[in-house]
Amino acid sequence: MNTSLLAGAVLNGMVTGMLYALMGVGLSLILGLLNIPNFAHGVLYALGAYVMISGAKAFGFLGGLLAAIVAVAMLGAAIEYFGVRRLYRVHPDYILLLSFGLSLILTESIILVWGPVGITFQPPALLTGAIDLGVTAYPKYRLVVMVVTTVLVLGCYLFVTRTRYGAIIRAGIEDKEMAAALGINIRRVFTLTFAAGTGLAGLGGALMSPVRGLLPTMGIDILPFAFVVVVLGGLGSLPGAILAGLLVGVVQSLMTAIWAPGADASVFALMTLGIIARPQGLLGQR
Amino acid sequence: MSDGALLRTERLTCDFGALRAVNRVSLDVRAGTLHSVIGPNGSGKTTLFNLMCGEIVPTDGRVYFEGRDVTGLPSHRLTHLGLARSFQRTNVFGKLTAYENVWAAAFARRTPGALGFLRRASEFSEVDEEARRILGEVGLAHKLTARAETLSHGQQRALEVGVTLASSPRLLLLDEPTQGLAPEATQQMTRLVQSLVGRYTILLIEHKMRIVMSISDRISVMAFGELIAEGTPDEVRENRDVQRAYLGARR
Amino acid sequence: MTRGALLRFGLLLAAIVALPLAVRPVVASEIWIFAIAGMALNLIFGYTGMLSFGQATFFGLAAYTAGLMMIHWHAPLLVVLAAGTVVGALAAAAIGYVCIQRVGTYFIMLTFGFNQMFFFIAYKWTAVTGGDDGLPGIPPLALGPLAIRLDSSLRYYVFVAAVFLLAFYAMKRIVDSPLGVIFQSIRENPGRAAAVGYDVKRYKWIAFTIAGGFTGFAGVLYSMMFGIVPLESISWIISGDIVFMVLIGGIGNLYGPLLGAAAFKWLSEAISVVWERWPLILGVALVLVVLFLRGGLVEAFRRLRDALGPRARPEPGAKLPVGIAAETEAGS
Repeated sequence: MNTSLLAGAVLNGMVTGMLYALMGVGLSLILGLLNIPNFAHGVLYALGAYVMISGAKAFGFLGGLLAAIVAVAMLGAAIEYFGVRRLYRVHPDYILLLSFGLSLILTESIILVWGPVGITFQPPALLTGAIDLGVTAYPKYRLVVMVVTTVLVLGCYLFVTRTRYGAIIRAGIEDKEMAAALGINIRRVFTLTFAAGTGLAGLGGALMSPVRGLLPTMGIDILPFAFVVVVLGGLGSLPGAILAGLLVGVVQSLMTAIWAPGADASVFALMTLGIIARPQGLLGQR
Repeated sequence: MSDGALLRTERLTCDFGALRAVNRVSLDVRAGTLHSVIGPNGSGKTTLFNLMCGEIVPTDGRVYFEGRDVTGLPSHRLTHLGLARSFQRTNVFGKLTAYENVWAAAFARRTPGALGFLRRASEFSEVDEEARRILGEVGLAHKLTARAETLSHGQQRALEVGVTLASSPRLLLLDEPTQGLAPEATQQMTRLVQSLVGRYTILLIEHKMRIVMSISDRISVMAFGELIAEGTPDEVRENRDVQRAYLGARR
Repeated sequence: MTRGALLRFGLLLAAIVALPLAVRPVVASEIWIFAIAGMALNLIFGYTGMLSFGQATFFGLAAYTAGLMMIHWHAPLLVVLAAGTVVGALAAAAIGYVCIQRVGTYFIMLTFGFNQMFFFIAYKWTAVTGGDDGLPGIPPLALGPLAIRLDSSLRYYVFVAAVFLLAFYAMKRIVDSPLGVIFQSIRENPGRAAAVGYDVKRYKWIAFTIAGGFTGFAGVLYSMMFGIVPLESISWIISGDIVFMVLIGGIGNLYGPLLGAAAFKWLSEAISVVWERWPLILGVALVLVVLFLRGGLVEAFRRLRDALGPRARPEPGAKLPVGIAAETEAGS
């Protein structure tokens, strides 16, 4: 395989990887704070993409992005407020099942609104075409997405670790009762964190729509990989999600170039090996 | 170790990061006695129990049961060796009935081998008798079919002890059995514990001084994770360090 | 047997007889097949507290194994059933061993991840599995030395119903055995279960392996229904369906998965004819059950019955029931 192909594969891997990291970060926040794997995370990613293309028709590319983030984040907040919240006292398994039911409802709703057929979407004119990187030519838009997602992911990490609100979130993750006892409106933190986590997923979907195209099943398709990222990186660890995201993205991309049939299975093999070798995940605690 | 110490700890230590919760505690529990562990809140008594029972692995030190080094063994192994423990915060099987709670604990000691599992649970009449006997002993004979989570606090504390007894241990570790009980229920529990003396060796954590002083053969006093005194109730009562630990520095 | 148990069992037999009159025999067969898979999930989720989102792994592996054996070796029916059950159990033993090292969320995602892995393998390994097109060419079946041919869907239904009853009996014996109480104690309080002497990881593994065997058994039955082993046998959609059925039927109750399988299959049949987007209804049903009726249909029936009249109490001195097959009262 020549270097150009290899470089292309690695770059693709990094683009996908940063997307996975973005999904992983959102999932990790929700998982860490609420102790639930959000099965709806995939479909919210899909919803972000679909809202994006409708929004872009009306308001242009950036308008579409904004519409996607706002719509998905608000939906996330509503889900937490009206659904998830009732189940905190019951058992985390039921929150998972709720998110599963919601993912069904939303996937079917996407088909109802936008139809079952795949849709392609062009990036804004400014970002079409490729850049010559010497070793290979690579689409401009993908590079921009990679940069943007990297900035977002790092921004999240800095927010959670360096800001006061981030400290509140981390306190809530450590010990919700204590945080509440300290006067923090823990319910609001939960709702906002859920909205933020899901908003990230929606943003990821919106950004990636020119890259991957849209299909109603795109949410279901990406969800397992998001889970792998979170499990491999270590539950509740943001740096872990970032590292794992990149790893998974690159491995998957390289495998696609080397031996395509094994690409997806190899991701799960990676997860299995990771869990066996290091049960707490790459950067998880304990 | 043939000097009658059923349980012995040697310099048992437990660190949680920078916090030393238990600091080089060495104590002996002699067979057939009721040995109490007392101390102000946070002195490490429950952590000591956790170390002895395999819930936590000690940072340092050793635990010997009947002469055998059992340090760091997982809790399910210790039960089979003859050591059982009750919990300060009631720790039973919530949705199971009181009967099933005790039955489960009683059955665990039996390990019937693979073929045993082909029988229905209700066919194990020895386990059934044992469960009923114990529930009667702790005063829950009328609550056999009640789900544990529906029992009153006092009844749950009784069930807590019942589950522990069902393991047929030689050494009973009771962690504040009277925790949260009203005076009458406390008396009942005290009578129950007294009735166990002689049949079991008992290591008891208790806060209620009157009980401790009246029923203990030996008392160990802990403060800030360390053993500061040990002896008979009279000796401990007179001990200055103990008084200081409980009442503050200036006395 | 108590009067209540006799009544329930009688209703079950009646349902078995009446079902092909209410729905097509193929759907009726599917109901009992998934009831078996549902009972298996109920064992690990309802009784032991482990939610597995990857039971299709065992369902599918057994289905493909059975399919391949029937196509290439013309293996007889009972051999294939046994083989599928063994494959399901062995796979569950291996996968379970890894998954059980973790609890809660990790465990769920690991079961899901393994399912995905096997799905992708089946999807891509078209030489063996046929990939997306499925594994065709399952020969028509005959049962035993008398060579009873199971070539009509009604005959196959009779066979499925019969083996379902066997599976039901086996599952009942398992939950009535001490394992039933042990599993439940692990669900209720794994720490205390260990403290009273149970090796929790080992019993979880046992539960998972048994469930894998039952699920594999169901998978074999499924493989023989259409003359082809479809890819969906190993897809997480089936994993999700099984979870639905157990939840909607009533978790932790022996009859729950049966009710759930019946409700699920019947509804999907009825609605999918009318509306292609029927999974939306399913999603709504799941959300409603999770929020308002977590005991599923069993709980709905129980509430109805309680509303209609007070319950009889067990006589004192009667042999006490142990395990969830017993109807425990909320205090006496």
